[in-house]
Amino acid sequence: MRHLLFPLLGLSLLAGPALAQTAPDTPDAVAPRPWFRPRHLILQTAGGMGMVAGGVGYSFWRDRTEADVLVGYVPKKHAGSALSIATLKLLYTPYSVPLGEKLTLRPLTFGPYVSYTHGTINDEERGQYTKGYYWFSTDTRVGVVLGGRLSYNRPTSAAGRSHRVSAYYELGTNDLYVVSYFSNSNFRSLSPVDILTLGLGIKAEF
Amino acid sequence: MASFSTFSSWRRLSLAAAATVLFSGCELLEFSPNDFRGPEDLTNLTQKNLDKLAAKPLPPGDTLRFVFTGDSQRFYNEVEALVASVNQQPGVSLMVVAGDISDFGLAREMRWVAERLNRLTIPYLTVIGNHDQVGNGRASYEQIYGPLNYSFVYGDTKFIFVDTNSREYNFNGRIPDVPWLQGQMQDLQGARRQVVMSHVPPQDGDFDQNLTPAYTRTLAEAPKLAFELNGHRHSYSIGEPFEDGVTYINSASFERNEYLIVTLWNDANDEPQFRLKKVSF
Repeated sequence: MRHLLFPLLGLSLLAGPALAQTAPDTPDAVAPRPWFRPRHLILQTAGGMGMVAGGVGYSFWRDRTEADVLVGYVPKKHAGSALSIATLKLLYTPYSVPLGEKLTLRPLTFGPYVSYTHGTINDEERGQYTKGYYWFSTDTRVGVVLGGRLSYNRPTSAAGRSHRVSAYYELGTNDLYVVSYFSNSNFRSLSPVDILTLGLGIKAEF
Repeated sequence: MASFSTFSSWRRLSLAAAATVLFSGCELLEFSPNDFRGPEDLTNLTQKNLDKLAAKPLPPGDTLRFVFTGDSQRFYNEVEALVASVNQQPGVSLMVVAGDISDFGLAREMRWVAERLNRLTIPYLTVIGNHDQVGNGRASYEQIYGPLNYSFVYGDTKFIFVDTNSREYNFNGRIPDVPWLQGQMQDLQGARRQVVMSHVPPQDGDFDQNLTPAYTRTLAEAPKLAFELNGHRHSYSIGEPFEDGVTYINSASFERNEYLIVTLWNDANDEPQFRLKKVSF
């Protein structure tokens, strides 16, 4: 897997300057939708956001920015207790690359996320710890993701709404892994790959 | 026909190879930082190390030498340096780690330490620390290392490892498990001396103060106790804090770049005796 990661990342970064002339797809301008109506549905696995996570997302600023809200689930057999994970993810897409009529590639998407885990075994009870006993939060994680996406452009709806279906991958890490990496003064003991996570998912516009 | 089947078997092989690459990527496909799935060779490490120990038995009557350390949390450089140093030590049978393998109770951290400690030429055994119980750490520890309370006999010595991280159970009155400890102390199982190791020492505020008298009495009344080993405080100390004849030895953490070599034997009256040697690395 290690051997795959860097070519994948490198490809995303290199493809950028060469193909940056294309603007992201224009969002549907025909039928104004109510502000609360999400733009897409999401189904994701892993990336620290659940064995299965589902959610909805909004897009802004000519489709370059997205805000995704996910609720994920991890069964007890994989973590010692059944966990539910709520995640808010922001993504920025600097450019996209049309690959023919049907396909669009977004070589680079990145952004921060924050997640909250419910259902941990040792869930700080009131008065259990003195203030500052553990400096970090057990349940709240913040992190970053960086990935890419391939979209299949299905015909737009009668109302002019785009119906793209996209598959994406996201490499990420979180605050505790970053702290682990940087507390090794010589940076040799842990490799950057040690602190990476991978998430895979599908987004369907509707 | 033969060439076709060769081709298809090659294809099957390459498919299997691709699948292996994908599934080794499963570690990357992490469901949550609390997700403890991982490679089989980094699970059940306590039992695996006990099996290694059993394969190199110590003849009865022999002096036992072992390495004592604790609190490896987040000190990955130091783990590597410690392993290199311990591997140079002649005549040591095992290493014991007094808890806090991890800092955040995450499975990945425990594996980062385990991958490095697995390069030891001698078996090593651990007891759970308070940091190993953060979040779902207790379940991760059980998955990667093993039981929270356990004992084993090696040569003439019975080792008893007990979870004393009372605060992590919000002082529920059952940790440490004193009745279990009493049973272990009373049954020597053919050994001629006993060693108890736990993470939080009984004189610490993170130890359930309601259980301190019963716990320390159990140690004081034990037939052949050499000493109790603790971690948690990150610096070396030795003493009799309860003035009851029981010696408590605290390990330095990995970041202090030192460990202890403990030599243990029984004197002419069959009473346990020990000597400590501090090693810097």
